[in-house]
Order: sequence, then C-alpha cells, then structure tokens
Amino acid sequence: MASREALGVFLQSLGRKTYYDILRVPRDAPPDAIKAAFHDFSLLYHPDQYVASPDAVDVATEIYKRGVEAYRCLSRAPLRARYDRGLARGKLRFEPSKPSTVPPPPPPARTLETIARSRAGKGHAIKADRYIDTGQLEKARLQLVSACQCEPDNEELAERLRILYEALALESL
Amino acid sequence: MALAVGIDLGTTNTVVAVVKDGVAQTITDAQGHKLVPSVVAFHPSGSVLVGRGALERRLNDAPNTIYSVKRLIGRTWDSPEVQDARGKLPFELAEGPNGATQVRTRGNAYSLPEISAFVLRQVKAIAEAALGEPVVRSVITVPANFNDLQRATTKVAGRLAGLDVLRILNEPTAAALAYGPATKPRERVAVYDLGGGTFDITILDLSENVFEVLATAGDTALGGDDIDVIVAGRMAEDLLKKHRFDAAANPAAFGRLRILAEELKRTLSTRDVSTIEADDLVPADRGAALKWSFRMTRAELEWSSLALVERTFRVCNNALEAAGTPPSELERVILVGGAARMPMVARKVEQFFGKVPIVRINPDEVVALGAAIQASLLGRDKTQTKETAFHPRIAEASIIEAIPVEEAPPSIELDLPVVEGANAPSLPLVGATKGARPAMPGLVQSAGLPLVGAPVEAVKPAPAAASKTTTLPGVPAPKAMDFLPGGAGRRLVFDPPEPDIGAGDSSLVDLASAWPSVPPGAARSTPPAAPAAHVEGPAPVPALAPAPAPAPLPPPRRAPLLIDVTPHSLGVETAGGFCDVLIEANTPVPCDRSRAFATARDNQTTVTVRVSQGESKRFAENTCLGEVELSGIKAAPRGTTKIAVTFEIDADGILHVKARDGDTGHETTAHLQLLGAQSEPADLEAMRARQDAHPLVPLPR
Repeated sequence: MASREALGVFLQSLGRKTYYDILRVPRDAPPDAIKAAFHDFSLLYHPDQYVASPDAVDVATEIYKRGVEAYRCLSRAPLRARYDRGLARGKLRFEPSKPSTVPPPPPPARTLETIARSRAGKGHAIKADRYIDTGQLEKARLQLVSACQCEPDNEELAERLRILYEALALESL
Repeated sequence: MALAVGIDLGTTNTVVAVVKDGVAQTITDAQGHKLVPSVVAFHPSGSVLVGRGALERRLNDAPNTIYSVKRLIGRTWDSPEVQDARGKLPFELAEGPNGATQVRTRGNAYSLPEISAFVLRQVKAIAEAALGEPVVRSVITVPANFNDLQRATTKVAGRLAGLDVLRILNEPTAAALAYGPATKPRERVAVYDLGGGTFDITILDLSENVFEVLATAGDTALGGDDIDVIVAGRMAEDLLKKHRFDAAANPAAFGRLRILAEELKRTLSTRDVSTIEADDLVPADRGAALKWSFRMTRAELEWSSLALVERTFRVCNNALEAAGTPPSELERVILVGGAARMPMVARKVEQFFGKVPIVRINPDEVVALGAAIQASLLGRDKTQTKETAFHPRIAEASIIEAIPVEEAPPSIELDLPVVEGANAPSLPLVGATKGARPAMPGLVQSAGLPLVGAPVEAVKPAPAAASKTTTLPGVPAPKAMDFLPGGAGRRLVFDPPEPDIGAGDSSLVDLASAWPSVPPGAARSTPPAAPAAHVEGPAPVPALAPAPAPAPLPPPRRAPLLIDVTPHSLGVETAGGFCDVLIEANTPVPCDRSRAFATARDNQTTVTVRVSQGESKRFAENTCLGEVELSGIKAAPRGTTKIAVTFEIDADGILHVKARDGDTGHETTAHLQLLGAQSEPADLEAMRARQDAHPLVPLPR
C-alpha cells in the first residue's frame, strides 16, 4: 500500500483530472467498463484497504470520495451527458464547484522550490511544483530528477522524488 | 492481535461470531446456545438479566422486561413507530430530552442504546468466555435501510458496552460476504432478508473479490413478528368466540398469545397442521382453569400472512429498478432471516425471482458470520497484509444441507380437507437441518403448553428431529397430505454446484477454491452427527462451535472488499418546504458533497440548515435527522457571505458535516444536532454510569 505522502500527492493531482481520468476510462467507455474501472479504483483506494496503515486512511478516504463522485456521475446516463457538456466548457467537476469546498488533506507542507537550494535546482523545482499542481506527474518527475541531479546531497529533495515515483506507480496501475 | 468479533444485533435474537484460523464460526454460550434473545430484564436487585433468563421474566415481570428495542432505536418520540408501539408493548416508553425515546423501568429512565448495550455486554461476555481473551473490537450489523439516526444510535450502544465498533455493517451485505465470493467473473446476487422485525432486499454485483452493493431497499417495520401478531389476533378471535374472553383488550394475555403464536408459526414451517393448548390464559377469577386449544393449518397461516409477504415484493421491485437489474439477470437469490424458514416465503421468493433461493448457511447465523469476516478484515494489522488474507470459510456447524422448497404454486383455499391427526407424532417430512431450528416439541395436542416459568427455547432440538432426514423417499406421506399445497413434491437445494474435490478435475478444484466454504475432505458424504452445539444437558465447556476436521487450506485469495452504499437520499430543506438532494440513495460510501449556503439577513452570524433522509421532494415527508448549525459567520450584508458545507457519509453510513466560510476562510463551525440523540459527552457519561450501576447476572458456567 502506498504511503500517506504518496497518496497525498496523488490526491492533489486529482483536482486537475476529469472524471474519466480519475477512473482511467476513455471518454466513450460503456457502462460496464466504468463499473469495472470503479472496482479497480476501489481495490486501490477504498479506505478499508488501508486498515493496516491507519495514518493513510484519511487521505485514502478523500481519494475514494473523489472516485465515488466520478462514478456516481458517469454511471448515470443523464448526469454523464450533463457532465460531458460541462466538460466541453472546461468544467472538470460535476458539482457547482464552489471554491475550496473540500478541505484538502495536508499535502507535503514545503514546496519543492523551498527545498531546493541552488539556483538551477530551484528552476527545476518550480516547474516540478507547477506540474504537480496541475496533475502532470510524469513531467514533474522529469523536472524533479533534474533538480536532484543539480543537488545530489539534498536528501529532502531525493525523498520527495521517491514519493513522486510512488504516486506515479499508483497512476500507472 | 486480539480477535475482532461480528455481532448480529437482532430484533429478537443476537448472535456473535468470530473468524479464527481462517474459519468463520458462531460462538456459543456455555450451554451450547448460539442465539441470545435480545431481551433485557431489570431485576429488583439492580442486576440485569439478558437473554434466555430475561425471556422467562417476560412472562411474569413484563413491565420490567424490555424487548423489540431494535424497532424503536433511533426513532424520535413523536415518530409513528414509537407512538404505535406505546400501546402494544407491556413496558413503559417515555419522552426523553431532545425528542428522544426512553424506556422507564423500576423508577429509572434509560435511553434505547442503553438497553441495546446490555445485550451487547452479554454477547461480549459470552465471546470472552469462549475465546478466553478480552473482546473489544467488533463489527455490528444493522438493517440495510437503517437511517443515520438508527446507525449512529447503534454505534453509541456499542461504545456503551465497552466495544470499539470497527464498522456498522448492513445485514444483507454481511450475508453476501458469508456466502463467499463470486463463482463467475461477474455475478449479480439478491439478498432477501426477512427478519423478526425488518425486511431488507439488497442487490449486489460481485466480481472476483469485490462486493459492490448496487441498490438496497427495505421496510424497517415489516418482519416475522408481524406474522405473530396476525396469528395472535386470530387466536384472540377464537378465544372471544369460544370463551368470551377478550385477549386483545388485555396486554398481558395478548403478549402470551404472541409467544404462543410464534411457536405455532414455527411449527407450521415443518408441519402442515398444528394445535396449541393453554389452560391458564384466562384469569383465575373467571372460574376454574379454562381449557382452550387452537388449531391452525399451514394453509391458514399462509393465507393470513400472504399480504405481508407480498408487501416485500413491492420493495424488491424498487431495489431491482434502482439497480437496473431485471430478476432474470440475477445469478443467485440468497434467503436470510428467521422468516426464511417459512416454506411460503421460499416459494414466493422463487416465484418472484424465477430462481430457487439459496439457504445454505443457517439463516440465523449467516449475518453474524459475515460480520465476523468483515471484522477480521478490518481488524488486521501490519503483520496481516491483505496479500496474505483470503476469504474465510464458514464453519461446517453453520452449514445446512437443504431447506424444503415446494414446487407447486400454492392454491390457498381455506376449505381444504382437514387433516386429522395433528396430535400424531410429527412426520419427518422436512429436512431437519443441521443447526437449524427443528420442530418444537410439546406443541402437539398431547402435550400441555408450559406457559409460565418454562424458557421459550429458541433452539431446542426435538430429539427425533435432530436426525438427518433430508428427503421424502421412503417416508410414506399420509394421503391427506396430498391435499395440502406442496405436500407432495419437495426438492432439495444445494448451493453452490457442489465442488467435487476428490474428482481431480482441475476446473472443479478451481471452483472449490473460489468458494472455499466447504472444507475439502469434509465431504458431504459424511454428514456430521447431531449438532453438537445444540445439545442440551451436560453442557460442553464454553467453546467455539466445533470447527471442521483439519483440512488443507484453500489456495490464498485476495481478501474481499465491500463497496457498500447509503440507503437513503440525503437532503437539505430549502425555501418552500422542499428538499434539495445532496447525496442520492445507493451512492457508495464513504462519499461527500458540498453545498454553499448564504446568509438571509444582514449581519447574520449563524445559519441553521435542516437535514433529512428520504426520497420525497417535500422535506416534511422525509425523516428529519436534525439540523446543522453554522456559527462564527463574519457579520456582513445578507447574501454576501457564502458558507460551503461538506456533508460526508462515512463508511458506517453515518453523516458528518464540515463547514468553511467560502470567501474568507473565516473559522466557521458546523455542528450537527441529531434528533433524539444523546451524543454530548455529558449524556454519554451519564449513560455509561448507568451501565456501571447494573451488573449483568453472571453467565452460567
């Protein structure tokens, strides 16, 4: 099971994902595929799967609730049609998305920018921060790898790269 | 790590089970009983009796003997259920603080979770005696369509009993878990659960180890008890006609009739006609002891309860519609609850779904066994990762071979030829089931009914019936039987398709591993002897139900995962008395939804939002749960402040609210005040103190 930190990074990336991306189904997925995808999603993030690591349960719960939101919408044809129309206008969530309704669980507190020390390292770190914010974890990884190469002794930066790898593993499952 | 138990806290009986060494098994008390009657008697000494001992006192100390609490728990004083029960229950109900319902006995008032806590303390003690270690962690089951108040109150009861409630689990979901994972890549299953006081139907989608609840629906005021009341009503009519004694106007007499009615009903599950006799129902001042006997055929019973059973199918239709599943798409229909023993119920279920229903695990135990499985999953720690976990097996002692299902559709006619010889020895017509409740002794005409002082045994086997008689061949049925519906053709139901372990066919072995309930080796060809756990008399030491002979473990599987849903739509009250749905019924839990609320007046610093559960567009027609009070709002012109409130339904199906001032991040707090709940720390402390003041009568050794 993924660590609390990796789950936190993954949760953060969900904010920029469509419901299709969250459940990892194509836009034209039939209902059965959506159901199967939700089962897979549940096996990964249902909080009951984290009973043995209690500190990760609350983050997993937040991730799971986003999956339920996606599943609830995509598995009901009328809602899905409305969602698709909203999505065409760039609306990622079905909800009338009032600002900051769900308090996000604490992501790793410090930005990569503050962790990086060198000028070159900070340059990559800023980009990595931005990619993480927008859910583009693979691009973030490339930047963070570069940042780490600039600062081979920065253990905190290396630890964050490890967490990012873990989050990426979650994404590719 | 200490074991976590599963508890089926039922309307009439409570059962506790545990998974030990990969086997889910029902825990018995020192006398070998699996069912603990959910009855609590307050003794003058201050101690409290729970279970069988309390059941006896229901006859001679009715005002201080509390039962059927599950029908009332989580219901406010002004609810129709409580007001209706007031006239029918022989103990006193009263209004408590915050609209709560309380029980008054021996000069004290108790909230309903306190009463349930006594039952839970008793089963906790039974489990501790059997397991030889402290039991704290537990999963407690509730009917699937219990609302938030009922769930939250049940959880409070668990805490009062000193339990750490890992999960409030839906009963049908627990049953599905006990029946094991899918045998096919994809399977739809219906669980039809007709218990003592409630009816539930749940439609699940099973794929490998994932159990997804698609829809659930139910009626919390429909169960086997209602059939008892109907039968008791007919008895009362008979008494009035024969002896001009109006039992309906005499709660004590009617209470006794209900007990008799329940026994008569049970007998008629295995016989076609039965007679009960009572000679002390009518008070002595009416003259010498009055001999009264009442005779009923199964056809009459079925005729009387037909409307009730038909009501369940309306609920089934709702659930199937919500699940988007026609009955033809269901692979299995599982029958749960004591009422599953009524042949008519099985028959009607078969007619409705077009499938022979499955009753393979003792319907009294299956929910507790499923809860135990969930408890073992939720109770695992780092040393027991899910890779090593697999779906536990069900102890052989809880597996029943078959129930009789009648083939012919009933043609219920009340002028059926009368079967004489109701007092003849009972015919071994029906598969007396291992661990099942066999025919009651002492109910035929020849035996007077012990009314007072005799424990109403729920699981006392008739010695003769304990032997395994599974089918008719060789048993000549009397001619008269042919007139009775379904009297001739009966068949046995085995489920799943029997894995033939010894055959060496690999596909069959796979099937067995997918459903590892029957231990390989413990083949059906060697049926266990009499159900040891039920034998009365020289009591075995407190022990688990006998585990099956050591057998090779099935191949490890991934642990099951339950995806459960919220049974009712959650909504908030809006202008004009309407209900704005936030979370629809049958949404998987945990889930949440946010909604912004604006102030209506200038400089308003608090906002109150009323929340309800139900499917009506009008707020008043739903069950009001209580209100959310938002406070600490920044003073500002009306409408300019928007407070985002997040409504979360947790994995127990219990509501939580969080608030956040949308604009400023100002410290707005949301407080959910549930109706009838006593959840403040001071209330809990007082309830805990009252628990401490009442020792339980120790378990007999």
